[in-house]
Parts: sequence; structure tokens; C-alpha cells
Amino acid sequence: MQVDEEELRKALNKPATYGRDLDLSQYSTRAVGEPEVVKEVIERSFEVGVDLRKRDSLTTFLQIDHRALYKSIQRRLEGDIELMPIEEAVKRYEWVRELLWRLRSPYEDKYTAFNALHGSGGYFLRILEDRKMHIPIQACFFMFSPGIIQSVHNIIVADPGSEAQILTGCTTHPKISRGLHVGVTEIYVRSGAKLNYTMIHKWNPGFDVRPRTGILVEDDAALLHNYIALGYVGSFQSYPTARLLGENSKIAMNNIVYLQGSSEMDLGGEVIMEGDGGRVELLTNAVAAEDARIISRGRIVCEGEDGRGHISCRGLMLSDSAEISAIPCLVSRKMSSELTHEAAIGRIAEDQLFYLMARGISREEAESLIVRGFLDLSPMKLPDHLEKGVRKIIDMALEGF
Amino acid sequence: MLLRVENLHVEVGGKLLLKGVDMEIGEGETHVLFGPNGSGKSSLVMALIGHPGYRLIDGRIFFKGVDITEKPIDERIRMGMGVVFQNPPRLYGVKLRELINRVARDRTREDGVLMMLDRLNISEELLERYVNVGFSGGEVKRCEIAQVLAMNPDLLILDEPDSGVDVENLELIGKELAKILEDRSALVITHHGYILRYLKPSKAHVMLQGRIVCDGDPDHILNQIMREGYRWCERCRLMRKS
Ligand SMILES: Nc1ncnc2c1ncn2[C@@H]1O[C@H](COP(=O)(O)OP(=O)(O)OP(=O)(O)O)[C@@H](O)[C@H]1O
Ligand SMILES: [Mg+2]
Repeated sequence: MQVDEEELRKALNKPATYGRDLDLSQYSTRAVGEPEVVKEVIERSFEVGVDLRKRDSLTTFLQIDHRALYKSIQRRLEGDIELMPIEEAVKRYEWVRELLWRLRSPYEDKYTAFNALHGSGGYFLRILEDRKMHIPIQACFFMFSPGIIQSVHNIIVADPGSEAQILTGCTTHPKISRGLHVGVTEIYVRSGAKLNYTMIHKWNPGFDVRPRTGILVEDDAALLHNYIALGYVGSFQSYPTARLLGENSKIAMNNIVYLQGSSEMDLGGEVIMEGDGGRVELLTNAVAAEDARIISRGRIVCEGEDGRGHISCRGLMLSDSAEISAIPCLVSRKMSSELTHEAAIGRIAEDQLFYLMARGISREEAESLIVRGFLDLSPMKLPDHLEKGVRKIIDMALEGF
Repeated sequence: MLLRVENLHVEVGGKLLLKGVDMEIGEGETHVLFGPNGSGKSSLVMALIGHPGYRLIDGRIFFKGVDITEKPIDERIRMGMGVVFQNPPRLYGVKLRELINRVARDRTREDGVLMMLDRLNISEELLERYVNVGFSGGEVKRCEIAQVLAMNPDLLILDEPDSGVDVENLELIGKELAKILEDRSALVITHHGYILRYLKPSKAHVMLQGRIVCDGDPDHILNQIMREGYRWCERCRLMRKS
């Protein structure tokens, strides 16, 4: 898509609809030093599900600050997928340029505008027609320089009939206390394709994060969009928007969040069923510890015939100074639609706690079992080894809880 | 004496449910507790293991000679109590396998647990499911019993282990319990006494409206209740009062 620079510059001052407003001039755009895959990078990436030690045998994309540092395609998958830095893809294919800013407007707010003007990096991933991949493709965005804005643009295209698992981990050097990550991701799921897209985040207390995700799902195609955030963040705001364009298009968005410290998160999602027979499920399980504040939004709009949609938001409060809000919204424009929502916020159920303690389990351990159970991964349908890995990450995040 | 309950008064939500319960269970003894719905049997179970919602107004509980009246639940369990609950809660996100392994830790050897699960007809599929979520009535009971067996306690408190269990599974459960009870004590709550075909209780108690109104021979008492219902006990109580 052509973008209008004048308009973009105007949009640079436009706050986002949700989330704390950030002053972009407070961040630096310059990366310090030459990025390298050092020990901290490997260890921290592992905590967001990306195994860089296996980067030669797994299909991997790694970006540190502004630089796409590493890219490899598993030998067996050559000819099945294309993976490259976005700049390269735009040069190579005229049509990739057309896919940029199709599913999300660059004028939406200061973050998209900044991305369109000054963004740097991101990946282009295409799964070719009818190819079915069972080993996840992994991508990692790592922030290394203090106070930096990492602003990337990713395009994912699942060609008709293809199937793939994508894991994107975003994180930062453990010693860095400030920074802003803006990730624009546009996901095209063509007819009959099935995509499982999982994003795992781990930040530091002073970090701000503004992902902007646009999704398009065609006939008989399905997207499973999973998001996991554990630990701390300064402020996070994201509201992926999806259009179910075709007949029998399906989407499930699952969010699992455990936040502590004074983390602020405004997490949402909107799906518009334009075609007939759409299926939507928006599921959030959020745990707020200490002073964390979590807002969970969900919106389903049904415009096609026979659409089904459900929003579920469950919040677990572990502290009196935490806060969780659930804001579900359903809009129907067809008599044949069925839309439902449920929201429940509370503390750890006493009867469950008592039951576990009656099995000889200490209170602390019982609480931790229940919280772990609350962060249930099964709706995410992750491949076994990834689920095991994520479980370990959750255990690590909950250590000392 | 393994368990001694003296003059137990227990209140829930401002309502007095147990109004002076006395009971003694010796080492190696199995006792059965009968009583109509709502008479307070499960409340007694909760009070015995120290559910915080069941407030002790009066009375004492001794276990292994120690006064446990003020002790928190996990301590009582560590001392050797184990309960099969009548209505256990569902635990979303906690797999049965995980819970049984956790419960068995330090108490029962792993191969012992595996064989026990096999004997109780608890499938791999069930072990992978979340505890009690979507379980059938009989599955709930078998899993409760599996957990208590894995805990390997000295006193088993079984609140209706046989209700809703079919004939074949009753036999599985009955045999497993009979085996462990060879050298343990138990308090068994049952309405129809099916499980008593396998367990040989030495004594029965009848609870009416929060009081034990009768102690005696289990077969005799069960026969009377089966024939005449709890009216028989009512009469018996009146006779004793006069
Ligand atoms: N938390 C509670 N709040 C109010 N009433 C309660 C509570 N728990 C138990 N009760 C009441 O106390 C009485 C005794 O209940 P309990 O469960 O002990 O009976 P029970 O003898 O086990 O009955 P059943 O044979 O039906 O299992 C019942 O009337 C019950 O409704
Ligand atoms: Mg009962």
C-alpha cells in the first residue's frame, strides 16, 4: 500500500485509543555496538520459547535491536517456506509491498505511524501452497540497547491449504530497564490454510510494548492466535484485529497472562465475521499479582449468517493492590448468529485450596498448583515439546510465588 | 486409641450442625457411620480434618494421643489422616496424574502407585484429564480412593466411597480398601452398606441431627435401618432417653 508521509507525520502525535500514552522522544533510535548472539541472548530467548542453540537445525529468524542477525531454514523445509527480512522481501516481490499496511492502518496512532516512518526490520514468512509443517518456525526479537525503540514489521502469508506452527518470542536483555517494542504483524491465512501462531513475551519492569496485529482469514481457513506474557512489563497495550472474510473461517485467540510488580497491561482483540459460518473464540486467563493492572477487552462483530462467537475472560487476583477489568462486547447484525460471553474474576477458590491441602499439600504449594492450573495451555494446542518448554517457562516465572 | 472425639460441637454459617459428638476408633479398627441425609456425617468429616469453614464451638479431637483440635489441616494430614470426599471440587488445569504423583511423593513408591492405578482401573486417558472435570460419578470415586491410597494414611475417612459405583467397580474398590485396611483404621460413611461386603467393620454408629444416637453391631444396625429406616433409631433414642 502507498503511504502518505504528510499524514504519517501528523499521526505521530496521535495517542492510541487504549493504554498509557507514551512520549516517543523519550526513547533512543540508535543501537549501541554490534549485536552478537551472546550467552544472555541465548538464555533469555529460551525463556520466550526460542531455542537459539538449535538455530542451525530449526527454522529461525533472529533480530537484535534493528538488525536481522540470523536467518535459517531447516534443510527439509527448503522449497516449502520462504523466510527473509522484510526489506529483502519487499525488494524481491512487488506483491509483498501491497500486503504492507493492508490489515492495519499506518495512521492509526503514533506507534503505527512511527513504524511506517522509522521502522526497521521484521520478517517475511510465507508457507507455500499445501505444504504442511509440523515443526515450529521460530522467530525472536531481542532488545539489547538501553532505551531503544525496536519497531518491526512482520508479514506472514499462509498460502492456500498450507499448515504451520509459528513461534515468536520477544524479549530484552535482562539488565536493560527501559525501551519500547512496537511490532506490526499482518497475518494472511488463505483459503483452507491452518496456522498456529504463538507469541511469548518476557520484559523488564520499565519496558513499554505496543504490538499492532492485523489478521485476515479466508474460506475454510483457521488461525489459532496464542499470546503468553509472564512476569513484568512497564506498560503493554495491544488489540489485534481480525477479519473473517470467507465462509467457515475460524479464529481462536488465547491469552495467558501472569503479571507482577506494577505492570500495566491492556490486552484485547476484535474479530469481525464478514463471511458466513464464522467461528470465533476469544479466551483470556489473567493472573494479577502484587500491583499489576490488567484490562482484558474482547469484541466480536457478526455480519455474516450463522456466525458463532464466544468470549471468555477469567481473572485471578492474588493481591488487594492488583486490578483486573474484563470488558467483553458482542455485536450481532444477523438473526442467525449466536454470540456469548462469560467473565469471572476472583481469588483462588477456597474449596480447591482446602481439597489440595487435605491431600497433604502445603498451602503455598496448593496455591501454586492452582495458579499453574489457571494458566492452562491446553486451548493453545501447542506441539508437545513446545508445550513442555512453555510449562517450564511458567514454572520459572512462578518460582518464589 | 487412634482417634478420640469428645463432645464435638461444630457450627457452619451460624448454624449448629454437630451437637456433641463422641466417638472412639482404636488401632486397626474399621467403624461405619450411618445417618439420614443432612444429619451431619460429612460435617463431622470436615471437622475431623480441620476445614476452616467448620467452626469448633466446643469439644476436642485427639489423634494418636495428640490433641489436634487447634491444628491446621495440612498438619493433621501429615500425622496420617486421609479422606475420600463425598463431593470433591473440580480442579481446572491440574491433571490427575500430576496430583497423584504429587500426593504419593515420599509416601508410596512409584511402581506401587502405577500398579494400584491399574488395579483401580484408572486409565492413562483419565490420568491426563483435569481432576474431576467431566468425570463420571464412578470415576470421581475411584480417583478419590486412588489418591487416598497413594497417601498411605493410618486413618482412612471414607465419605460414601460406594455411592454411584457399579458392581464391578465396587469390587475393585472394595478389594483395594480391604487390603490397605488389614493394618489401618477407618471411618466409613455409607447409606446402603454395599462397601461393607468387602470391609469388616467392628462397630457402627448412627447419627441423627448432629448427634450420635446409637453404637452397636454393624450388621444388626444396617439390617434394622434397611428394614425400618431411621424411624427405628428415633424410637431407640427415645427409649434410651426415658
Ligand atoms: N456450608 C454450609 N452452610 C449451610 N449449611 C450447611 C453447610 N454445610 C452443611 N450444611 C447443612 O448441614 C446439614 C448437614 O450436612 P452434611 O453434609 O453434614 O450432611 P450428611 O449427613 O453428610 O448428609 P448426606 O447423607 O446427604 O451426605 C445439612 O442440612 C446441610 O445443608
Ligand atoms: Mg454427606
